[in-house]
Amino acid sequence: MLSPIDIEVIRNALSAAAAEMDVTVWRTSRSTIVRELLDYSTAVFDADGWNLAQSARIPQHLNSMSAALRTLLEKFVVAEDWGPDDIVITNDPYCGGQHLPDIVAFRPVFVGDVRIAYVGTLCHHIDVGGLAAGSYAAKATEIFQEGLRIPPVKLFDKGVRNDAVWAIIRQNIRKPDLLLGDLQSQIASLEVGRTALARLADRYGADAMLEASARILDMSEAGMRAAIAAMPDGTYEFTDQLDDDGIDLGKPIMLHVRLTIAGDGVTVDLSGCSAQVQGPTNATLASSNSAVMFALMSASGGGFAMNAGCYRPVTVIAPEGLVVNARAPAPVAHRVAITHRLLNAMYGALHQAVPARIPAAYYGCSYVTTFQTIRADAARDVLVEIEIGGSGAAPIKDGVNAYSSGMHNNSNIPIEMIEAQMPLTITRYALLPGSGGDGQHRGGLGLVREWRIDSPRCFFTANMDRFFSQPYGLAGGGPAAVGKLSLLRDGTITPIPPKSDNVPLIAGDIVRLETSGGGGFGPSGARPDAAREADRRLGYV
Amino acid sequence: MTIRIAVDIGGTFTDLQILDARTGSIVAWKTPTTPADPSEGLMTGVREAAARFGFALSDVGLLLHGTTIATNAVLERKLADGVLLTTAGFEDVLEITRHVRRDIYGLAPDPFPCLIPRDRRLGVIERMRFDGSIETPLALSDTLSLLAALRPEAVAIALLHSYANPAHERALRDAILAAHPGLPVSLSSDVSPEIREYERTSTTVLNALLVPVVRAYMDRLRGRIGEDGFAPRIFLVQSNGGVCSLDTAAEQPARLLLSGPSGGALAASRIAGTLGRPNLVAVDMGGTSYDVSVVQDGRVSIVTQGEIDGLPVRLPMVEMRTIGAGGGSIAAVQADGRLTVGPRSAGARPGPVAYGRGGTEPTVTDANLALGRLDATFFLGGAMQLDMDATGAALARIGAALGLGAEAAAEGILALTNASLAAAVRLSLFEKGLHPRDFALLSFGGAGGLHATEVADEMGMTEVIFPREPGTLSAYGILFSDLVQDISRSRLFTVGDAALPGLTALIVELRTEADARLARDGVPAADRALTVAADMRYHGQAFELLVPWGDVTAPDAAAMAALEARFHDSHRQRFSYSSEGEAVEIVTLRVTATGRLPRPATTTPTPAARPARKGARHVFTAGAWHEALVWDREALSTETVTGPAIIEEAFATHYIATGWTAALGDAGAIIARRG
Repeated sequence: MLSPIDIEVIRNALSAAAAEMDVTVWRTSRSTIVRELLDYSTAVFDADGWNLAQSARIPQHLNSMSAALRTLLEKFVVAEDWGPDDIVITNDPYCGGQHLPDIVAFRPVFVGDVRIAYVGTLCHHIDVGGLAAGSYAAKATEIFQEGLRIPPVKLFDKGVRNDAVWAIIRQNIRKPDLLLGDLQSQIASLEVGRTALARLADRYGADAMLEASARILDMSEAGMRAAIAAMPDGTYEFTDQLDDDGIDLGKPIMLHVRLTIAGDGVTVDLSGCSAQVQGPTNATLASSNSAVMFALMSASGGGFAMNAGCYRPVTVIAPEGLVVNARAPAPVAHRVAITHRLLNAMYGALHQAVPARIPAAYYGCSYVTTFQTIRADAARDVLVEIEIGGSGAAPIKDGVNAYSSGMHNNSNIPIEMIEAQMPLTITRYALLPGSGGDGQHRGGLGLVREWRIDSPRCFFTANMDRFFSQPYGLAGGGPAAVGKLSLLRDGTITPIPPKSDNVPLIAGDIVRLETSGGGGFGPSGARPDAAREADRRLGYV
Repeated sequence: MTIRIAVDIGGTFTDLQILDARTGSIVAWKTPTTPADPSEGLMTGVREAAARFGFALSDVGLLLHGTTIATNAVLERKLADGVLLTTAGFEDVLEITRHVRRDIYGLAPDPFPCLIPRDRRLGVIERMRFDGSIETPLALSDTLSLLAALRPEAVAIALLHSYANPAHERALRDAILAAHPGLPVSLSSDVSPEIREYERTSTTVLNALLVPVVRAYMDRLRGRIGEDGFAPRIFLVQSNGGVCSLDTAAEQPARLLLSGPSGGALAASRIAGTLGRPNLVAVDMGGTSYDVSVVQDGRVSIVTQGEIDGLPVRLPMVEMRTIGAGGGSIAAVQADGRLTVGPRSAGARPGPVAYGRGGTEPTVTDANLALGRLDATFFLGGAMQLDMDATGAALARIGAALGLGAEAAAEGILALTNASLAAAVRLSLFEKGLHPRDFALLSFGGAGGLHATEVADEMGMTEVIFPREPGTLSAYGILFSDLVQDISRSRLFTVGDAALPGLTALIVELRTEADARLARDGVPAADRALTVAADMRYHGQAFELLVPWGDVTAPDAAAMAALEARFHDSHRQRFSYSSEGEAVEIVTLRVTATGRLPRPATTTPTPAARPARKGARHVFTAGAWHEALVWDREALSTETVTGPAIIEEAFATHYIATGWTAALGDAGAIIARRG
């Protein structure tokens, strides 16, 4: 029986192993999306595939890798046939994944012939083929248009690389050197994780590792159960919505949450969500679970380690065929839109249970813009940016202006870097006064960014939401403003549809994006005069 | 003028190291810091040292001064009330920041810190292009009247692309100074002329708001000159590991912001040289934090950006990994039954439970006391009476919550602490592609020696070095510093022969400026050394590697090729691959100007003439009490210390774990080896 000290030393060492794996991916990966946007995760799992420790900055990834590994073990790979030098990869959303650009790689760790753990990595790859560069086609209607679908397969079998799989991947993607380089760094990271765990097992032994894993999960389960038990029993419902799927325009997608807290368990019933849609605004269960778990873990108040033990008190009901559990071959590239809104809906329900803890709605959208400029000599450059809006007001304070919130967490790109490298000029980058919801506590402000085209031609692609339905306020607080996307040409302003592929632009055109703020919290009459005065003085309203 | 003094002013103590050039001897002194005016404590320390060691104030020729005055002013927000001028339409860049949040799960986040609020940021009509060409000429319009109405104590000017063409920033400054003579104005093109508007603006704002604060301190410091013939040349320690003149510091106080770790890093690189160990991991453990820096091939690694309190500072500085683990770190049992150590710290007040100042939660120091690693009966040379009953009770409470005895709980606190220290060291090496087996651990700071051998064990490192005067090692490093001026300029070049004329022109411009700055600080031409380096990347990457280029002035094709090859090499070392076929870009050029200060020969003190063995006491390790010999560091000469053992000195205690032996090495350092 290990002492509680040993347990904690081992738990910290598992986190350190995930961190070493993380540094390895960062250090050896090739593409900007991995290295600069840090769009990857590394994790350590117990011998049954449950997440023990993870290194991740992007909530969308948190709590999703265990689902992928568990699905592999339940349906696709026989654990007894998975040896210490076999590495299984997949990117298939319908085998426990989220969308095709995310490739997961897993490897078991053995002491003698006892499996003590798995290690895993997830990378968002720059391109996996399909209709559009980047594998983000806004108009895809089936997954086959979204890129290469790699079923669960042993990329390494007894330490030998499967060159046929390697060649198939190389042949089907736009940037093979980058993708295969990044995949190589995932493989290297697994070896680093395996070495770190072997070092630990040398010291404590296989039995102790298994015992520690079990107890680490049990402790977090107990912590999560205590947090849920502290929430009042009851059933809480909330609905939020996405504008549309980009194909069936103007038809909202409903995200309905029915949350039942009973004792130390919680059931999240998503049966009331819209049926899956034609366009790529669908999510698999792994994505939806990730949003549900993120909501519950952030609302728990913390005080315990975040791992798969926290999943045990949670039951998710999501019938197949809904946007939150799409059936193959539905396209799923924009699953982040579903998870943003599902998180908004989860918080709306949780507010009724723990009103002192939950903020009003954040902007709830990854404002993805892509500019492909074409110079006079036909040279092409591509800029992909992800913008953000304001955070929702919290029960105790104002929301934060331009704050990366909810399911994503990315950086912006310096204006001077863009202009030094591409025929684009940023003509404005500012907070957007009045975009936050009013209330006792004001929602954070959204922002405005303008790009001027300096090349003869340019193609513009966007995929955004919250242009019709406003981010909600809570406890009497007002909603935030919706977003706007416009084209300024020859002195006239025309709207650009927020889900657009390849809009042709010419030199001198200006694209203006205005993002949503966050909702307000509490009745606006309760906002102190001093706060109103500060808002006026600072030009926030 | 034979005395050189290095002063490192910390939160609690002002540390001095005094070098007498006549004998080469180095002595240390400590005196309490006087936070209201740190120059007062500085003078007290100098006077005390003069009386103690027998020199006259007029003998002091050189005063090298490390100060946290700028750092503290930022942390406490005791800054000037400034105004920021930006290109119109970009006034909010300072508030929008770079987006990525740190607290993933937090539901009530605080905004990123922003030192100048929105109503004190003014847009100016103008627009520069990335290549330095002017798209919209500067139009002053009502800028000056709006500025005057805000009554600024300092002004920061950060216009887009000013690194490429500073004309608009300078014209604005001239117009402002004409209307407000003497008003401190900081230009981003002077402070940090590098691409990336948010980081440059943040650095410039910090600089501007610090100018009045640091100027006031300089005035007080200058006011001390002349007291009893005290008239040394004074230099201040910068974040880059070098020193600068008072005039430079008053103009560019942002260069002082992260100077805290400079002294320790300088000491580490000097020790790497004197002990012939080019690869060291230097760890500095104090009351609240554990700072890790890496010396590779005798050089401290330098990075081009750091941050203070979440605010980026785009200036060269010593690379440092800091975790919140120190002697004051608090041990607690969490809701789910986990034992955690830190990041909360009891600090100096209330401090450890044993201090009897109201602390109730046990700290790492309490654990070290309870297990006999620190001497509970003669703490700080008997200067402090400890309440060990209270410590025992506090540890027993932790133990009860874990189902353990007080001693096992205390050992658990140390085990957890050592594991997290080791993880920090391992990551610092790992991220550079380095392996612990190739490094020795250099342990200093008040608390470092208690943990070093066990931390080394965690990583399979087999050598630990305990330098002399571990509590004032920063001051020791400062004693041997040089003047260092960093000058940089962003301009994008694609590596190749076509870039040579432009590169040469820029290098010459930067070298001329660097040389002039050293001349202004009184460095004779013979003592100046200039080196060039470039921030480089593959086309399409969004970050750069710092690649040294040596003493080049007018590079030819061969020099260009050598630089490119070095970039590929360092990319391979750090990131495990290189792409010889891809286009390589230079983003920023840097010139480092070093003004070498005289390097007097030093002597190693002889061991004190008293028995090295002080006695023995019991230490708790591996679940049981063992007898450990206690040694007097100052008296140690040829003896071999076998662990478990304790080595004590005035301001520090070192624990030599079971399985380790230690002995006196070169330069007064104690060297411990595994096995």
